[in-house]
Amino acid sequence: MNDFKTLIVLDRCKALFEKAGMDYVQMRRILQIKLTMDGRRAPTLIGKTSRSADPDELSNQFLKSLWIYAVMGAVMTPFVVRGHNLIFQMSIVFGILMFMITTSLISDFSSVLLDVRDHTILGSKPVNAKTINMAKAIHIMIYLFFITGSITAAPLVGVLFRHGIVFFLIFVLEIVLMDLLIVAITALLYWLVLRFFDGEKLKDIINYVQIGLTMVMAVGYQLIARVFNLVDLQIGYEAQWWHVFLFPVWFAAPFEWLFGGYRGEAIIVFSLLSVLLPLLAVWIYVRMIPSFEANLRKLSTQTSRKKGRGGRWPDVLGRWICRSREERVFFRFALGMIRKERDYKLKVYPSLGLSLIFPFIFMFNTFNSGSSWEEIRSGNSYLFMYFCAVMIPSAVMMLQYTSTPKGAWIFNTVPLRNHEPVYKGTLKACIAQLILPIFVMESIIFTVIFGVRILPDLLVILIMTLLYTVISFRLMGLEMPFTEPAQAGTQSGRAGLMLLLFLILGAMAGLHFALRFSTYGVYVLMAVALIANIAAWKLAFRNL
Amino acid sequence: MPESNHEPIISIQGLEMNYGGKQVLKGINLDVYEGQIIGYIGPNGAGKSTTVKIMLGLIKGYSGRVRIFGKEISDGEVEYKARIGYVPEIAEMYDSLTAQEYLTFVGELYGLERRLADHKAQRLMEQFGLEEVYFNRISSLSKGMRQKVLLISSLLHNPDILFLDEPLSGLDANSVMVVKEMLASLAAEGKTIFYSSHIMEVVEKISSRIVLLNEGNVVADGSFEQLQEQLHEGTLEEIFTELTGYHEHKDTAARIVSIVKEVQR
Repeated sequence: MNDFKTLIVLDRCKALFEKAGMDYVQMRRILQIKLTMDGRRAPTLIGKTSRSADPDELSNQFLKSLWIYAVMGAVMTPFVVRGHNLIFQMSIVFGILMFMITTSLISDFSSVLLDVRDHTILGSKPVNAKTINMAKAIHIMIYLFFITGSITAAPLVGVLFRHGIVFFLIFVLEIVLMDLLIVAITALLYWLVLRFFDGEKLKDIINYVQIGLTMVMAVGYQLIARVFNLVDLQIGYEAQWWHVFLFPVWFAAPFEWLFGGYRGEAIIVFSLLSVLLPLLAVWIYVRMIPSFEANLRKLSTQTSRKKGRGGRWPDVLGRWICRSREERVFFRFALGMIRKERDYKLKVYPSLGLSLIFPFIFMFNTFNSGSSWEEIRSGNSYLFMYFCAVMIPSAVMMLQYTSTPKGAWIFNTVPLRNHEPVYKGTLKACIAQLILPIFVMESIIFTVIFGVRILPDLLVILIMTLLYTVISFRLMGLEMPFTEPAQAGTQSGRAGLMLLLFLILGAMAGLHFALRFSTYGVYVLMAVALIANIAAWKLAFRNL
Repeated sequence: MPESNHEPIISIQGLEMNYGGKQVLKGINLDVYEGQIIGYIGPNGAGKSTTVKIMLGLIKGYSGRVRIFGKEISDGEVEYKARIGYVPEIAEMYDSLTAQEYLTFVGELYGLERRLADHKAQRLMEQFGLEEVYFNRISSLSKGMRQKVLLISSLLHNPDILFLDEPLSGLDANSVMVVKEMLASLAAEGKTIFYSSHIMEVVEKISSRIVLLNEGNVVADGSFEQLQEQLHEGTLEEIFTELTGYHEHKDTAARIVSIVKEVQR
């Protein structure tokens, strides 16, 4: 365990803490332990790392992730150095900042806010409550300092050179106020969720935020280039009453007030809000800590649940698409795992979201390159739907991983003659739960855009997608589903295979594109693909 | 009630506790004296863990008086905890830490010097046969090993009172013998041990006094022999089922077996 530089800096304030009635030595020790544990936890942005690895090797995961934040933050620099529309630019900057900091706070730092072990481990020791609470507060502050610091590093430097020291200092002040607001609101949000739901629900919500973060980051890369065009826009600012609800506008208001041209009453009100509301939120939060702690206990207690939703649906579906009884058993099992395993969702759902958006990104590229809307509608852009299938290999590959690999003993103790139904049921569950919903959603949107003329093509794409799924499965050579521990590099380690699968998908789309010109080409392709599909589903599960 | 002319080390009077409208403790009275091993037993949900957590200051909002080492604990002072060791029922630890890091940390929180805590923890680990895993992460340890680490963490600071909630879970027979013997010796030294468990045979053997809790009330209090005499029952298990009013175990078992047999091949 190393001595953290942050703590050495903190040592200077020792007297201050002791004066306030805290045991500094204990507080420092708690913080040291917490920081050590943080180092061993991989942030969402980097992904999970092997658990058995050497402790010291992992201890710098967090610092490494800061680089990613710094790079993402650098993207905002143009917003603060170019252009003259301060309220507009700063609103965007604070909007991005709030989004990034809130999501990273929720996804990577919830475990700190919600650590129930603290209560038992620290509470039973001779440490007073003040010391524990202060340690927790400083822990969050250290985290926020690093995250905010690295995201805003480049914009801050830009501001200092472009607008001078006063602007810079106000920027720093507003950022600090924003952080306070974020922490207080996040905590209050947790409090609300815990108040009305149980801990599992909160974990689910955190899971969805993580998924959202990963997805927005990925989509963000696609959009950044386009956003730059906005910087030079000249939009006159006109304060509207509903701007009161846009937090970022509050934080941008002081800049417009002090440095910009617009000095309406609204700007002054917003500026005051940006100072008063964070302080008010923190005040409320501090007053609610005891109630928060009491609700935290819910995280570790089990509340009995009503029978789960959709209890009949898997049964019906299973009877439709699975022939043998064993296959149905594993179909239902896999369906449940895909729906509930948070690790699986975190790894697969973001790419699902992407695959939903991909076709449109490509379509809009054609749109931007000069084609008119009418041209696109009568054209072949619907074939971009093949891009939906891009996520299939990783969704299929992830089926073998789980966060609880130790549960796999069950497969070895039940009397299974062969493993075919296990794989077949699981793959069908993956199709029913993930691939089909995406396909259906996309098909509806595409039919609206391109008209019913593309229905035969959509059918071909569906058959091709199913064929592609089973090909991906066979080429991967999976372990038993949900038995392997999830580890870092699992995805990148198979880059060659992924490329091959991508080429296969490309070939399928190419074939479709080529045959589309002849009158019956699509129907011939449909028939061929159907036969190939049946054969593939018969053959792929042999010798497992 | 064992007679004693000196002050009780723990004194609980009229302890009541409500949880979301439900009364978990309905007025517990209990005086515990130095050197006693209290077997604190009762069915699930009887309020055992709640009592222990109240004494540790983990749960607030009770009514009644709780005095430990002759001082009221509700005044917010935490110093008394330095003389208490605690093994919670659920082995909650910071398990991304190594055993060494965790144990020195806990030792220091109890006010030990870091070097001393480290040295003492290492030697205790050795005695429990865990010297090999002292520098391993707790998350990689087996259930029994984790339990031993937890036990060590409760002993490092030489506490005067030990609260042990199911301390033997996951331990092998040899380790169980060691721990039982150790508890007896510690009690002989004048330490007070508060022992909760569902394994009646162990409680019967090691406790000098048994306190049985049912639905938030103390329903029996005395040495095993006294309870045997009062209730004309042979084993603690029988006393337990007698006092908690559970007579259906044969019927329940029969129903379970009949459900098990329902499967058709």
